[in-house]
Amino acid sequence: MQPAPAEGHPPAAVGADGPGPIERIAGFAATLRDHGLTIGIAEQLAMVRAAAVMPLEHAPRLDAAWRAIACHDARDWRRWPELFERYWYPKRTRGSTKLSGQTRAGRNLRQLVEELHQRMAAQQPGAPREGPMDTAQQPMAVDADDAGVPRANAGASLSDPLHDRSMSQWLPQDLARMEALVDRIARALRRRLTRRWRDAANGSRLDMRRTLRASLRTGGLPVHPVWRTQRRVAPRLFVLVDVSRSMETHAQFFLRVARAFVTAMDARVFVFHTRLAEITPLLRSDSATVQEKVNAVTAGFGGGTRIATSLADFRTVHARAQLTRSARVWVLSDGFDADPPHRLAEELRGVRQRGARIAWLHPGPRAPVSEAMSAAVAEGLVERFHRLDNLADLARLADLVS
Amino acid sequence: MTDDTLRRSLYLHGYLADEALATTLWLAGRLERPLLLEGDAGVGKTSLATALAKARGQELVRLQCHEGLDLSQAAYEWNYGRQLLAIRLHETGSEQLREADLFSRDYLLERPLLRAISSEAPCVLLIDEIDRADEAFEAFLLEVLSDYQISVPELGTLRARHIPQVILTSNGTRELSDALRRRCLYHFVDYPTLAREVAIVQALLPEVGIALTTQAIEFVHRLRREDLAKKPGIAETLDWLRALHSLDVQALPDDPRALSAALSCLLKTREDRFQFDAARVRQLFEGRQAGVAEHATRAG
Repeated sequence: MQPAPAEGHPPAAVGADGPGPIERIAGFAATLRDHGLTIGIAEQLAMVRAAAVMPLEHAPRLDAAWRAIACHDARDWRRWPELFERYWYPKRTRGSTKLSGQTRAGRNLRQLVEELHQRMAAQQPGAPREGPMDTAQQPMAVDADDAGVPRANAGASLSDPLHDRSMSQWLPQDLARMEALVDRIARALRRRLTRRWRDAANGSRLDMRRTLRASLRTGGLPVHPVWRTQRRVAPRLFVLVDVSRSMETHAQFFLRVARAFVTAMDARVFVFHTRLAEITPLLRSDSATVQEKVNAVTAGFGGGTRIATSLADFRTVHARAQLTRSARVWVLSDGFDADPPHRLAEELRGVRQRGARIAWLHPGPRAPVSEAMSAAVAEGLVERFHRLDNLADLARLADLVS
Repeated sequence: MTDDTLRRSLYLHGYLADEALATTLWLAGRLERPLLLEGDAGVGKTSLATALAKARGQELVRLQCHEGLDLSQAAYEWNYGRQLLAIRLHETGSEQLREADLFSRDYLLERPLLRAISSEAPCVLLIDEIDRADEAFEAFLLEVLSDYQISVPELGTLRARHIPQVILTSNGTRELSDALRRRCLYHFVDYPTLAREVAIVQALLPEVGIALTTQAIEFVHRLRREDLAKKPGIAETLDWLRALHSLDVQALPDDPRALSAALSCLLKTREDRFQFDAARVRQLFEGRQAGVAEHATRAG
């Protein structure tokens, strides 16, 4: 077993010859952050500590160790292998080309662990330490050469549908109006109560049975009255936004609305095209680069719309356990589907069977009339069609819901 | 204990962990961080905690979460009955009773969290199905998980004597808060590969023949690829094989109707049963035979 670092104080490394191990880990962390993983200083410290306690012969197992630290949910978990491979083993990634004049000597896990162990062994116990905080705060600079790494989607079409439309073109009063409307809808949806009751310290109804039961331990004195209140089930809202070419002009507005729902009621938002991707974490942060990030997510999708395939992915992978009776699925799309017509109805039926209610919000004046849609409509799978093209439509939707 | 020895001792206690999971568990011990396990029901999240406790020779303290779980069920509660009794006894005696005497550790009922924190020996704390507890409870857990301490207003802060290895499991029915996720290491437990599941079944049910085991698990894997409301987990596979073994089946029969009763070990909702009528099951069975034939030709 290699020597372990002191608790909470990983060794410092400021390499005179090229980036040291800690800088390289910071570079990797920066790449992960760029891809939407939540990597704070705590995670970065834990990654350094994991590398420091890892025996040298087990260096490849850092993959599993870092995955446990850096991933916080199933979505991160699924994306990890690709990100890790591409960073540490770029040669293994298919389609990558070797760039002349660039060496990858720094991206060797074994070497990294070895250097880290050496530094720890060399470090004097009383010597002043330089924490990894400095590198953690400016990790971008370390990985500057990463810009030259060919990305897997570099060859795909970059003509993204949201291009050239910045989210900042809205006037502040429009934004405030939209947020008020979305809040109204969110409140209306939240009002739905169930017939069940739950314990609540400030409830309105006395639970006689449990109060009596609780009074036994105080010799029959009801010292601990138990109150109950009606249980509210906050519906889970899933917003699926079509960002295909045909929806180009509307996607911007739809994403705006979707984002307001994320803030108001913690909705989960997906964008689809030929594939489906979740963008909730991107919408949660209020930064100017949100649009760019959403574009980056959808850039590799290519042309065409595959609603049924995307719905299948949504239903079986992303929202598997959360599609319940209280779930609502809002599809924001014009309904033009490149998949075989019968599949859309099939997938919608799958969503309905879990109890979730489906609403279809379309940009055009009339409900979608494609062959695929009419089958779904005939079965009554979609609870509600509503036009959503501007704020006035949103106001009408709010009236309808509340 | 290295990750390899941990993996071996987990195996000796009936849990086959893959290398990544063993490394993560080992790291969680080294970094003294809780481990959050997510995955579908029946993939072996809870049994990992049980096996870990056995492998380390430690006590397993289990907290089963449910809606409405509160502090008095999870952490501690004052023993009112005993306090009243003490007051009565002192009324008859001559000794003076101080308030501090009534609010001492003697009158504190330990619930799982406090038991794990104040345990004399290191232990494994399993917080099962955390997604079923309320968000308020999740927030309370943050103190326990990051500082390994519990604050009791009447007593002060109780710190852990030994930091317990905490394992949290979640089925993903509710999104957990980022604060909780970031305090934990994370591992997504997926359904095992065919070879691993065969190894698991052989380790746990050595009495079932290898031919039947392989056939049955191939069938289960094909079943998992179908669109089911509830996919069969490892627990279901084990149940089914136990059922087949007790029915004295040596190999899967050509006619699936003979097994229709035993299939209820695998298909646990009405829709799934309805969807998998005899004809559909036969199709999946025939997939098996095609697979075997393929294998034979490849081997030949």
